[in-house]
Formats: sequence, structure tokens, C-alpha cells
Amino acid sequence: MTQFLLFESASGYGLFEVTASDELAQGSDAVQRSVENMERFGKVVKLSAFKPFTSAANALEQINAVSESQITDDLKNFLTTNLPKVKKEGKAKFKLGVSEPKLGSAIQEETGVPCECNEYVGELLRGVRQHLATFIKGLEDKDMARAQLGLAHSYSRAKVKFNVNKADNMII
Amino acid sequence: MKGGAKVVVEQHRHAGVFIARGKEDALVTRNMVPGESVYGEKRIAVEQEGGDKIEYRVWNPFRSKLAAAVLAGVDNIHIKPGAKVLYLGGASGTSVSHVSDVVGPEGSVYAVEFSHRSGRDLVNMAKKRPNVIPIIEDARHPQKYRMLVPMVDVVFADVAQPDQARIVGLNSQYFLKNGGNFVISIKASCIDSTAPPEAVFAREVKKLQEQQLKPKEQVTLEPYERDHAVVVGVYRPAKKKEQ
Repeated sequence: MTQFLLFESASGYGLFEVTASDELAQGSDAVQRSVENMERFGKVVKLSAFKPFTSAANALEQINAVSESQITDDLKNFLTTNLPKVKKEGKAKFKLGVSEPKLGSAIQEETGVPCECNEYVGELLRGVRQHLATFIKGLEDKDMARAQLGLAHSYSRAKVKFNVNKADNMII
Repeated sequence: MKGGAKVVVEQHRHAGVFIARGKEDALVTRNMVPGESVYGEKRIAVEQEGGDKIEYRVWNPFRSKLAAAVLAGVDNIHIKPGAKVLYLGGASGTSVSHVSDVVGPEGSVYAVEFSHRSGRDLVNMAKKRPNVIPIIEDARHPQKYRMLVPMVDVVFADVAQPDQARIVGLNSQYFLKNGGNFVISIKASCIDSTAPPEAVFAREVKKLQEQQLKPKEQVTLEPYERDHAVVVGVYRPAKKKEQ
């Protein structure tokens, strides 16, 4: 059984493959320790694909969907092209680890990819978050920070502006 | 504070925090955006030897829990130049702006606030400060903003919610690196208004411990706030035998 991980960042979607899962199966304490060290973590988890967002508008569309646990066409295409094919329902030889169960079930419904979301996946994703810039060539920490800043502004501005009935009402 | 020449600014024990000594002493931070106040606070310009001026902003402990904790003598705030901070409960961004001053251009502050009313002010403040990343979202659901936040050095929380220990635990699980620090402000009456404050603090500390958040120190914010405490600690500390 191969284990994949989906990581959503402000710059794009990343797909990772866990290559040495036996080593990690020793319990969450061992996972935590190997996650800290890139030398060890890099041997355990490998980048298999990364799809950068095409524009700021595209990134905003993706985060709006992801935060509501919906699957976008971009994410669907990314997963179907980069994951092994699923021939029969329930017969896949791999699993996709996701950060949130609802998004997992949305993916499973749309693509048939079996998803899982548990503490172990959470620990691995912590490691990916920490070492993301080392995994992806040409992506520096400061590029990442810039992408986060830009996306956060457009995401938050839309929230503040788009308040049909969510505005907190003042009691007079 | 008038008469800039008479004011001397000294480095505080905490890096990035300063004390202005004039007619009255004041806690100040170095203004990232010289010439501008965020919420009408006073500014102090101090001339350097070369003739350049450095501007500081007065940090009011009655308006900021973190400033109150500093004046209450907390040992370590962990928020220092270059640090990445996840700030839960950013409100209008008055305190956030001082944290932005403290971490400086090399650091960043990811400020989460749920209320749209104060969120608007937060977003506007962040426009002028590129190290503040405004996130208008519910801190109870960190998965909603997982695309916007990297691993951080410090989680600061001033959310005043009954389940705040859980909120901090959840966010730490996503974003706080191993051995990272947390600073949490607890308002006793927001959690249980019938129990004595000390009992509430003790209960909250226990809840934090259950989530691998190891408290190191606790200070009360008297006389700036009533029945408030700030708890500082470390997340998933490295095991002794490994060191």
C-alpha cells in the first residue's frame, strides 16, 4: 500500500509520496522526531508533483473552495493526472492523506481515490509544511511568504466586503 | 510626549521592546511605518548620533495584554525580531501593530480575527505593514486557513472564549513547530464567571498540558486588567534524554 499526501499551499498544490512508511509506523513519537530533521524526513517523504496556481485570481478560487472542503476542477485534474489510476472502486493500491476529512470524502466521491485523514497524516503534513521550500526547487521561503501575504489579503478583503448577513450587529 | 530631545530610549530586557525615559517612562516599540499612528497612540522621535531620527510608538498596557504582561515582569515573551507569530484574536489590530513592530521586517505576524467589523480595521492596518498577514476566519477551524500559514515560532492567543485552550491546541497542531512557544491570555470571567479566577487559571493550565502545551510561567495582569493571567510555555518540548 503506497501512501500519498496532498498539501495545499498559497503557491500551489503539492503531492508527496511516503516512501519509507515502515520506519514511521513505530508510533507518533518516532514520527515527530523524524519530521523535525530534513535529512531524515527527505528520505521518508518525496515530492511527486507540484502544480503552481496560474494567477492570483486562480489562487483565490482554490482557497475559497478548499476552505469550504470542495474540490475544484484544477485539484481534480491535478490528482487524476498524478496519482496512479483507480480501476475499481475499493481496489486501489494506494491511499491519499489529506488535512481535512470533508475534503477527503469530496475527493473520494469525485475521483474514487481512497482518502484518509488521521493523526499520522497530520504529523507528516506538519513536516511538509515545515520543509516545503526544500522540497520544491525554485520556491524560496520568501516567495512563499509573499504568496501567503497576497492571498491572505484578497481572501480576507473578500470576507470583509462580502457580508450579506454575517456582519456582527451592533446592539444599540 | 513632547520635548523629544529630553527623551532617552533604552532597550528593554525583551528584544524588540524599548523603554522611553522622559518625564514619565513609557513602554514603546520601534515604528515600522514612521510618521503614522495606528490608533491615535503617541509617537516619539529620537535623534541618533548621525542626525537620523528613529520613531517609536507608545505601547499602552491598558490596551494590550502583551504590553501588560511585559510590565508585569514576564520572563520571556518569545516574540522577538525575526520571529514568525500566529496571532489568534487580532481584533482591530492595535496590539498586532506593536507585535509587527517587535518582529520587524524579517519577521511576520499571521493575524486571525473572526469579527468582520474589527477585521476591516485589521485588513486596513495590514495594508501599510507588509509583515502582517490578515486572516478573517474562525480560529476554531484552522483547516480553513491552512493554505495561508507556514510553521510558526510562536502562537499568541487573546481570544477570550470558553474553549480557548482547545483552540490554541488545535492551531498548534497545525502550525506550531516542535519546541515552539505559546503565549496565551486568559480572562477568567470568559471561561467561568462563578469560580474564583485562580481555580479557572489552574483548570486552563491543565487543559493546555493535555494538548502537549507545557506551561512554563504564569503572570497576572494586575493592575492593568482584572482577573486576567498570561501563561507562557513550550509546545512538544524535546525530550531530556535526547539532548
